[in-house]
Amino acid sequence: MSERQPAPRGAQRARPGPAGGGRAWLRHHRAMLGDSALRLVRRPLATLLTMLAIAIALILPAGLWLVLDSAQLLDAQLDESATLTVYFDHDIDESRALALSETLGAEPGVAGTRLVTAAEGLDEFQRALGVDDALSQLERNPLPASVVVTPDDPSPAAVQALSQRLGQLPGVDEVRLDLAWLDRLQQLAALGQRVALALGLLFGLGVLLVVGNTIRLAVESRRQEIEVVTLIGATHAFVRRPFLYSGAWYGLGGGLLALGILALGGNWLAAPVNALAESYGARFALPTLGVSNSVFLLLFSTLLGWLGAWLAVGRHLAETKPR
Amino acid sequence: MIAFEHVGKRYGGRFEALADINFRVERGEMLFLTGHSGAGKSSLLRLIMRLERPSRGRVLVAGHDLDRLHLSQVPYYRRQIGVVFQDHQLLFDRDIFANVALPLTIQGIEPHEAARRVRAALDKVGLLHRERALPIELSTGEQQRVGIARAVVNKPALLLADEPTGNLDPQLSADIMRLFEDFNRIGTTVLIASHDLALIARLRHRVLKLREGRLVRDGEAA
Repeated sequence: MSERQPAPRGAQRARPGPAGGGRAWLRHHRAMLGDSALRLVRRPLATLLTMLAIAIALILPAGLWLVLDSAQLLDAQLDESATLTVYFDHDIDESRALALSETLGAEPGVAGTRLVTAAEGLDEFQRALGVDDALSQLERNPLPASVVVTPDDPSPAAVQALSQRLGQLPGVDEVRLDLAWLDRLQQLAALGQRVALALGLLFGLGVLLVVGNTIRLAVESRRQEIEVVTLIGATHAFVRRPFLYSGAWYGLGGGLLALGILALGGNWLAAPVNALAESYGARFALPTLGVSNSVFLLLFSTLLGWLGAWLAVGRHLAETKPR
Repeated sequence: MIAFEHVGKRYGGRFEALADINFRVERGEMLFLTGHSGAGKSSLLRLIMRLERPSRGRVLVAGHDLDRLHLSQVPYYRRQIGVVFQDHQLLFDRDIFANVALPLTIQGIEPHEAARRVRAALDKVGLLHRERALPIELSTGEQQRVGIARAVVNKPALLLADEPTGNLDPQLSADIMRLFEDFNRIGTTVLIASHDLALIARLRHRVLKLREGRLVRDGEAA
């Protein structure tokens, strides 16, 4: 961004050439980067409070995002364990069941099969329910032979299609799959993602307001300085620069604090979550933001701080325009 | 250097601060602008600084028609003008050197060159030995001289001063005026708004007198 200069007419001054202008621009940027940081450091408590407010506004949507991320992780694991159970007609004996099971295994879209004969099915049932006596009273086994089919593609739509196809094979009585709850989980996750996005937008606006208000006060306290530099020929960009850097610092600081708090919170929750997962016989680690998401969060918060400052200074500059 | 052509300025549609002002100032002139407070001196200066725009007529400064100057060009226009304020408008959070260097910082003058010019300006107003002092440590007269150093550090073609001796005793006022005459002698056009009639009478420069927004006299001091 090179500062435009009008054609010098009348009073001509020695002006820096284009290269000198670029150097001057860089020099001022460097000076303001340091100066704005120094101003924040000189008032540590006020600075920390502002950054903390930003951090809290960032933690809520980021935290929700992490929770959803872990739900999706769980979802993926469940998808992998999605199987179909194919029940054969009652009159099919064991040898015929074995043959049919091999046919099923050769079907496209089927990754694996496991035959459960009628007797094995009854055994499993008895063990699962602990009702030996009641079932031993039965004259004949009421359960048909069945095959547990693991599909190639675990997505609900593919599994649904596979189940319809297998249901039409000869000797197959019915195909059972319980996908409804998987569906619901996925819909819930999608809903959660929208909520996180909405919260993100809302709290992003919050960050904008926090920074905007803080910068507005800073502008107010430096009103005379702005007036003077404007009178002696400062451009709007020059006036804006220190405040934009302040805003960016606030955003960056708030983002770093948010990352720190999220990490602390993660550590604090890790032990009970692991214990809970173990009691279900599952291994489950709390997800962390990771490097790329952390970088994204910092960029996002810095940008928001910068934008908030831009809005606050822009308002002031618009108010002081020559009439 | 400056030309006012049928310039009028109204505030809020009713109050007429300036009415049908016509005058020309040649390059290298030195002149005073007088009148009671409220006569329109400040409005006239604000028009030249392009802090306000005329309601009627044209203001031309250094070849610029100020009404046609785009807002983004205004800063560059202002850099050609040095302004001395009555209340000197120094920044109290930085030392004398930084205050005087401010116009050069804004223009992005290379620090080495800027330091040279700042020292030259401070030397001219006799305050070179105070460059590291804070404005608060200086007397009123010294603060005003710092304000003048800041106004001239950029070697402007036009120097405006709004009541530069308003708060000073006669001896200090005379010193300040002598400074302005020195700058005028090296070719700077100087326009000073003042109601210090005794001082103006002694200096024998052209005087513009305003009364209730009208130019009632334009000529040598009586």
